[in-house]
Amino acid sequence: MQVPILKQGDVLIASVQAALTDADLVQLRDQLTEKVGRLRSRGVIVDVTALDVMDSFASRSLRNLAHMVKLRGAETVIVGIQPEVAFAMVQLGLRLEGVLTALDLEEGLEALNRARTSPTRAH
Amino acid sequence: MGASADQVVPLRPESPDQRALKDYWSVYEAHFDDIQVGIMHELAGDPDFAAIVKMTPPDVQEQNSKKSRATMRRAIVEGDWQSYWADLKVQGEQYAKMGLSFRAWFKAVGSFRTVLSPYLFEAYGKTPQRLLAVIEAMTGLIDRAMAVIGEAYLATKEQTIRQQQDSLRELSTPVLQVRDKMLLLPVIGVIDSHRAQQLTEELLLAIRANRARVVVLDITGVPAVDSRVANHLVQTVEAARLMGAAAIVTGLSAEVAQTLVTLGVELGKLNTVGDLQGGLEEAEHLLGYRVLQDSPDIRQIHPAA
Repeated sequence: MQVPILKQGDVLIASVQAALTDADLVQLRDQLTEKVGRLRSRGVIVDVTALDVMDSFASRSLRNLAHMVKLRGAETVIVGIQPEVAFAMVQLGLRLEGVLTALDLEEGLEALNRARTSPTRAH
Repeated sequence: MGASADQVVPLRPESPDQRALKDYWSVYEAHFDDIQVGIMHELAGDPDFAAIVKMTPPDVQEQNSKKSRATMRRAIVEGDWQSYWADLKVQGEQYAKMGLSFRAWFKAVGSFRTVLSPYLFEAYGKTPQRLLAVIEAMTGLIDRAMAVIGEAYLATKEQTIRQQQDSLRELSTPVLQVRDKMLLLPVIGVIDSHRAQQLTEELLLAIRANRARVVVLDITGVPAVDSRVANHLVQTVEAARLMGAAAIVTGLSAEVAQTLVTLGVELGKLNTVGDLQGGLEEAEHLLGYRVLQDSPDIRQIHPAA
């Protein structure tokens, strides 16, 4: 299932609605890296609230996506990882190193604002 | 648990010789008071037991010994063994609850044999056959009594341990909101895998429920931190981060720090602060709080002044 990407000011919001196949993930990555440049976005938010499982491929894809977007000059925040998903990911050793995370969309937008004012500060 | 007395496997065949038991009983009953005195004398030197004797008022002691005498009579003379075993079981439970050591009650039951033997010899010394049968009967009885008391004793001890374990688990970790978007997780007690998992789950749910952005994990109350515990901590911190909350770990003592470095545990990813106060201050800083101290209200601090 394709992921809708919304433009909100200089932020792109990709809201994942249902479980993603590997192909969907690749497509999402391609679209986002392309749109970041075309729309001159400064931030990307990937909302995974609807996902109740995150495997190693999905986790690696999101991490790569964040790093690629970074190279294109924008910051990525993954938002809405559910407690059970977070727990399972940590158990599996999937840690999304070097990627900003936030509780939900609202916090994600705020995190982007903070990252913009102090770009070196990523927790 | 708590195997009832009649489930105890007999160490010897069930009272094969009624006559021998009755012989035993007649001697015991005839010299009952002397034997009680003898046992007390035997146990007087034992510090554990002396304390228990001192704690029990004389009239209660008297009552107890009368009662056990009556129960034993009913068992041997009337064949009512059930209440005899039940009585012993209660005794075993009491020993455990009183905190009497295994050694002490073992000695107490054993001393009975030491004290009684001369009287048996005196009564039946002229007929070795009969003497042997009586000693056999007494030994069998005492062995069974020891088994019943021992089982009840251990069952009670085990129950105590289980209760303590349960209460320790129930005392599991509260997640407290200290400020808006800031949680405190004071961890007290031993962390095993099960508890670490429970702790992490509770923390993650609390992060979502309270929309927390900073979490302070205080491990001052964790007695030992080894590589496994450290690994649990790292996982908890990582999971919190995936939920968008930064974690600060506080309360690593000097010994713990040395152990972890010696073990080569990598805690570089953890944001650690020496004590809880420092951790809370750091958390406030991360959230952008600035705490200002006003002049203290002395009357509130010392109402009497």
